Amino acid sequence: MKNIVLGRYIPLDSVIHKMDPRAKIIAMITLLVAIFIDTGYIGYGIIAAFILCAVFLAKLKLDFVWKALKPMLFMLCFLLVINVLVLKTGYVLVDIFGFKIYSDAIFQTLYIVIRLVLMIIITTLLTASTKPMDLTIAIEDLLSPFKVIGVPAHDIAMMISIALRFIPTLLEESQRIMKAQESRGVDLQEGSFKEKVMAILSLIVPLFVSSFQRADDLANAMEARGYNPGGKRVRYKQLKFVLRDYIMLLCVFGLVAGLIATKVTGIL
Amino acid sequence: MPIEFKQVSHEYSPNTPFAYKALNEIDLELAEGKITAIVGATGSGKTTIVQHLNALLLPTQGEIVVVDKTIKSTEKPKNLKALRKQVGLVFQFPEYQLFEETILKDVAFGPKNFGVSEEDAQEKAKEALKMVGLDETFYERSPLDLSGGQKRRVAIAGILAMDPQVLVLDEPTAGLDPQGAKQMMGLFEMLNKKHGKTILVVTHDMEHVLDYCDEVVVVERGKIAMHVSKEEFFEDASLMVKANINPPAIIRMRTMLQEKGFAIPNTVLSLEALVKALKKGVA
Amino acid sequence: MKVIELKNVSFKYDEEYVVKNVSFSIEKGSYTTIIGHNGSGKSTIAKLIMGLLEKEKGQIFVDGLELNLENLYKIREKIGIVFQNPDNQFIGSTVRDDIAFGLENHCIPHEQMDPLILKFAEKVGMLNYLDSEPTKLSGGQKQRVAIAGVLAMYFNVIIFDEATSMLDPQGKKEINELIEEIHREKNITIVSITHDIEEAVKSDYVIVMDKGKVAMEGKPEEILLREKELIQMQLDIPFTLKFKNELKKQGVNVETNLKMEGMVDALCQLNLNK
Repeated sequence: MKNIVLGRYIPLDSVIHKMDPRAKIIAMITLLVAIFIDTGYIGYGIIAAFILCAVFLAKLKLDFVWKALKPMLFMLCFLLVINVLVLKTGYVLVDIFGFKIYSDAIFQTLYIVIRLVLMIIITTLLTASTKPMDLTIAIEDLLSPFKVIGVPAHDIAMMISIALRFIPTLLEESQRIMKAQESRGVDLQEGSFKEKVMAILSLIVPLFVSSFQRADDLANAMEARGYNPGGKRVRYKQLKFVLRDYIMLLCVFGLVAGLIATKVTGIL
Repeated sequence: MPIEFKQVSHEYSPNTPFAYKALNEIDLELAEGKITAIVGATGSGKTTIVQHLNALLLPTQGEIVVVDKTIKSTEKPKNLKALRKQVGLVFQFPEYQLFEETILKDVAFGPKNFGVSEEDAQEKAKEALKMVGLDETFYERSPLDLSGGQKRRVAIAGILAMDPQVLVLDEPTAGLDPQGAKQMMGLFEMLNKKHGKTILVVTHDMEHVLDYCDEVVVVERGKIAMHVSKEEFFEDASLMVKANINPPAIIRMRTMLQEKGFAIPNTVLSLEALVKALKKGVA
Repeated sequence: MKVIELKNVSFKYDEEYVVKNVSFSIEKGSYTTIIGHNGSGKSTIAKLIMGLLEKEKGQIFVDGLELNLENLYKIREKIGIVFQNPDNQFIGSTVRDDIAFGLENHCIPHEQMDPLILKFAEKVGMLNYLDSEPTKLSGGQKQRVAIAGVLAMYFNVIIFDEATSMLDPQGKKEINELIEEIHREKNITIVSITHDIEEAVKSDYVIVMDKGKVAMEGKPEEILLREKELIQMQLDIPFTLKFKNELKKQGVNVETNLKMEGMVDALCQLNLNK
């Protein structure tokens, strides 16, 4: 569990960490849009430089970013193989005993790889520099204008935050149940198919039973403390935009607007 | 000697920033046929010790001899199943390990995992249920709609059905009412006296230690601070104070009376003996 | 003055009465214990008072206000409750957030939240753990946080529903001391639902539940000496009573005193008289 990097929060003291999570989400979405718009190699180069600056400002190690990208390697290789086999346009780059690899296969793959890598780095940057709870609050705030059309912004945020709160508890619980069943001779590694099904059932059923119990207790505790799903509340955590958030957003908007302008006018 | 710890250490998540040494070179010998209490504050390493007994945790150093098998730090024991059959481990809140549709099936689950035939497993399950005091009317009921104490009995029967020689229980009375707790401890006493099981019980309840156990092991910060007979343990109230343990009511009463000048010997462990000693003092 | 009053309250679960025709009242500022074996209906009573379960029959009054759908949230502004399982009532992601949860629901102005959180985190001795996550806390610490959350709301009644039964002796002792301190200092009415007969000894008033009914109620010295009934209801009897019985059996007659200190004094007296 401790090796999973994707989506993990890294507690550091940096400008990026201190930034308003709403500003970060908006910046991320804007940059993702820019990546979707085909801005060409130079455009991607500029975006990459910008993101690397942000990674540097967030005090994240390149090693960490690399770890986040690693799980994608297999997918990228797979993509390359497919493209090499399927795409037969452009000029011939290599000819191995009559098997021709065309230029488009390589360039198109490279193009997709660049875009994917950029997207992963951006989202990793967001999750690594923002506490999950802060993200939840930001999502609630950003969704609140859509309340008018029936988006239950608060309920969504409450659900995410309770899920986040109980993930470690449930992990602990599942480990405990696993050990208890192992003591009864359950072997999760070996055994016939039927035995394996039983082994999994012996974990899942108790986990469900105890989760329902927890959910019941939790609902009681929340209600007893005056929680009223539809009612008014004053939120303790308030987010505030400060100067650095405006500056950062301005930079991102400027960059993306510039890229779009060059694209439309055909300079790049 | 069925259980022996030799210089056993256990470290959680070694070689990481979260590394934590829960047991530190402990030596411990547990006598056969007795009820031994393992006491100590939360986080002292009691549960870690217990989980070594059936190789759920392996020592990072040292070795453990359980009956005729040796668990070493270097290798994963090959005869894991045989070991787990010999040492039945009942976890805290064991009612959360029930999952089958009927009580009989749930209790038979353990023996079946150890390769016992369906019929024999059922037989063993029936015997185990009888031991914990649940009759045939329970066989076909769902384990989920029993009371808390009954569920716990079913879970313990599930371990007993594997016919272990050693029964290890991690806080078996937690969450039960006083009457239920007493019945539970009475059950272990019966299993010990009548069925000859060696019993190890992790507990916080000193009244239970006084009433039901033969020996006491005190665990403190990953070390064995004390391993004495019950009589020795309760003779010296200062030992308990040193181990940050609240003595049972009778021992507190004995100490209070001694402080008031009553001549009561430290060997007094029961109300009957206490009153006898008092009368001597008065007369 | 009565702060909680139940009149002929019944509650059914699956066609079976869990609470049947229960009437009792709790005096303002008292420390009341409700005892009974598991399944006697004592925890159901707590949930009925909080309006977490809907009674089938009868009336419940809190601070003169009748519990009904209309008054539900007003009543929850008067009573706080601390439940048994420390994990399942910790809602916030940190100690700070959890204490804030009740304040948020009761629409306490934002600028008052931080001072309240600090004040009551200090009161329960959790000031150094404000940003700790629940997985890093012990059961006793989580219960302290739950108590801080309740105190921050200035309730005048707090129900403890077996709040110490899942804690180790150390945690139990600390939480019991904290409860006594709150009771003493702030004159808050305490209703403690418990198995612990020794806690009942120390309380002002005892209500004994059995089979969904109030079996006995009164001052501890009236109730806790009724040995036969207590045993019949699968309850413990106080240690001092056991001690007195043994004394009597061996021909020593002393007046029963529920407190150990009292027994010791009585024995000293006896010694002097000889």
